[in-house]
Amino acid sequence: MSQTIKQQKQKMSFSQKLSAYGTIFAGIALIVIFSILSPDSFMTFDNAINITRQISFLVIIAIGATLVMSVQEFDLSIGAMASLGGVVSAKLAIAGVPIFVSILVPVVIGFVIGLISGAIVTRFRVLSFVTTLAMGTVIGGFTFWLTGGSTVFENIPESFKFLGQTQIFVFPLLSIIMIILVIIFWYVMAHTTLGRRFYAIGGNEKASEVSGVSINYYKTIAFALCGMLAALTGALLASRLGSAHPTGGEAYFLNAYAAVFLGMTVVRSGISNVVGTLFGAAILGILANGLTILQVPSFMQDVITGIIIIAALIFQKIGRE
Amino acid sequence: MLLQTREITKIFGGHKALENVTISFEAGTVHSLLGENGAGKSTLIKILTGVYQPTNGQIIWQGQQTFINRPKDAQDLGVNVIHQDRQLVPYFTGLENLFLNRTYPKNKLGGINWSKMREQANALKEKWKIDITLDKPVYDLTPTERTMLEILRAMSYESKVLILDEPTASLTDKESELLFSLIDHLKKENVAIIYISHRLEEVIKISDHVTVLTGGKVTASLQKEEITRERIIHHMTDGKEMKTAEKSSNKQRSSTLLLSVKKLGTKDKKVEDVTFDVHAGEIVGMYGLAGSGRTESMEAIFGLREKTTGSITYKEKLLGKVSPKQMIKAGMILIPENRHDEGLIMSNTIRHNMTLPILDDVSKAGVITSSVEGKKVSEEMKRFKVKAVSENQKVAELSGGNQQKVVFGKALLTNPDLYICDEPTQAVDIMTRNDIHLFLQEQAKLGKGVIFVSSDIQEILEISDRIIVYSEGKTVAELVNDRIDTHTILDICYKHQKGEK
Repeated sequence: MSQTIKQQKQKMSFSQKLSAYGTIFAGIALIVIFSILSPDSFMTFDNAINITRQISFLVIIAIGATLVMSVQEFDLSIGAMASLGGVVSAKLAIAGVPIFVSILVPVVIGFVIGLISGAIVTRFRVLSFVTTLAMGTVIGGFTFWLTGGSTVFENIPESFKFLGQTQIFVFPLLSIIMIILVIIFWYVMAHTTLGRRFYAIGGNEKASEVSGVSINYYKTIAFALCGMLAALTGALLASRLGSAHPTGGEAYFLNAYAAVFLGMTVVRSGISNVVGTLFGAAILGILANGLTILQVPSFMQDVITGIIIIAALIFQKIGRE
Repeated sequence: MLLQTREITKIFGGHKALENVTISFEAGTVHSLLGENGAGKSTLIKILTGVYQPTNGQIIWQGQQTFINRPKDAQDLGVNVIHQDRQLVPYFTGLENLFLNRTYPKNKLGGINWSKMREQANALKEKWKIDITLDKPVYDLTPTERTMLEILRAMSYESKVLILDEPTASLTDKESELLFSLIDHLKKENVAIIYISHRLEEVIKISDHVTVLTGGKVTASLQKEEITRERIIHHMTDGKEMKTAEKSSNKQRSSTLLLSVKKLGTKDKKVEDVTFDVHAGEIVGMYGLAGSGRTESMEAIFGLREKTTGSITYKEKLLGKVSPKQMIKAGMILIPENRHDEGLIMSNTIRHNMTLPILDDVSKAGVITSSVEGKKVSEEMKRFKVKAVSENQKVAELSGGNQQKVVFGKALLTNPDLYICDEPTQAVDIMTRNDIHLFLQEQAKLGKGVIFVSSDIQEILEISDRIIVYSEGKTVAELVNDRIDTHTILDICYKHQKGEK
């Protein structure tokens, strides 16, 4: 019996191969294309390092989206949450608190707001889609009130830029933070009871309940962790830029979900996972970086990125059927 | 003769769902189909409505052979079915639902001509003498009104054969009367009615003809004057060997009371008055017809359904509002009726399914100890002889029997004192069925309590020490499994149904 299954595996059809490895092929193809088109600036060590720093924000916020999606929910407030995280962090830095505190406070705020979203979704059995969209509006309004609508940048102490702008040897601290978070959350999802229960709920909520999993509790935790990572992304972004815009996190919202969906086409097909998300974000990052080097106008970049995401989703679907 | 199935056989992967079924349906009569769950009624209906095609045999329509290859073909002939789960759009009004599948009358601008639509609808109401309001959205209608609306819609397609599948399941006696008078009118208009119901009394009352199906075969065909309760029950239990299983070994039950349920009722009224005890070391069978509240009462005990009245005492502790998590900790496990929706997580592996309830036991500070987990899983796979490539195979890829073994392995890992098994042998092969019976008997011998819910009376008789009979949300009898047969049990079921008191 095991033999027949092994044989089946060997005889994967072209469309199945495309589905299983298509995203990875696409990533390699992108690297090859960009290397040929601009050998001097793209295929360099510095640019590779640069890309890891560029994608670090996207990866961190997308890990949160990965967690929420693993329990079959959505959090559409992550963009607004990142903006709030950045603004709070910058404001605290200006007020003179130590950098550690100015990062920790927004992280805690993100966690608590995520708890609230999760509690509303699970307690009242309302759609997370709509709930978090509304929560995002609330957060956005609050951020606007906090800043009066303008960018926070005056009097930001140099020390605040430590996290965003430090290099350790040649490696940016941001890239290192990203790698650490990827490892932590990969481990959580693969080897802890928390991750096991997240995937169980995502696989079949009713069956998980019958098996004694407290659905509401774990779903709420997923929202809280997602909110926490979104706020952290905002704070790191503010530290990198040395300023915080009241809608600065919005750009990451859609790309985060794009990264998760692209990630679902690799590694464990059809299930959101941290390593896949890293791949997804990397492809988006390489694409943005390469197209910018080639001086493709930004509107054209959007068109190309969108088409690539749609293509990846279609290929995955074809392969599974 | 309007419609006839001639020697119809339907085979699903080696299993004969229908075997040489020949039934004739006449215009202007009510023809009832009776049989236990799985007797083949639904399969037959699906063949008549083009959902399935017969493996062998013919369908004769007005004397000529015909092929019903898809639902549209059935509709074109004039065969329509009204299902238990009603097929109406809740937010549309009656009028809109009536026209769902039809061409809307158009006005000059190409929009919908509402007044013409209403005219047509009123003419239909007049013709079929169905008096219901068409202006309310469907979610505001009572169950009877919804059934009436569906019948009206079916008749608007010029139905010649109308199949009613458990139409009175959610109706009160008075509402049922309304339906019966409508059926009477349809008969006069020469419509052939195929009637499916678990309620024997109404079947006897309205039928001109009754066909009994048992295990996919026609076991009786009764004319109007032959239709009596005794005869029907006789035929429904016919042809089954009366096996008396060897339960001698655990005849003497221990005096330790495990579970005591008194006057249990749930918020949704699916369970109204359920009372029974389970002792350590005994197997208690639960039997009742569809909709009798067996599954729902088990869910209430396990904390999956809200209870409002009565009391549940488990291991001498009165239970308040509980969750499945707490019940598993307390040593109770539910093997749910529906393996796909509640028993297993199909997209997960055998390993991840088996240890889900006991993750806290195979982990330290939230981190899973792989070696401990792996050992437990492989022990259970060996014990239940699960056929799989490895413990990392997805359960969706396993056969039904092997999936159910995984469910049992998972249950055993929680080390329960009470097993609540809801239809544990549904859709599993004979071998697995035997294994499951043996396993439960062995557990009972070890002093565990077992609740065994099944729609198969014969199976209940084979395995139970005592039998509790359910009817309409209530427990109506408790029998010691000693010289009783299917006849006795069915008789009790039907005696307690609505309309006969």
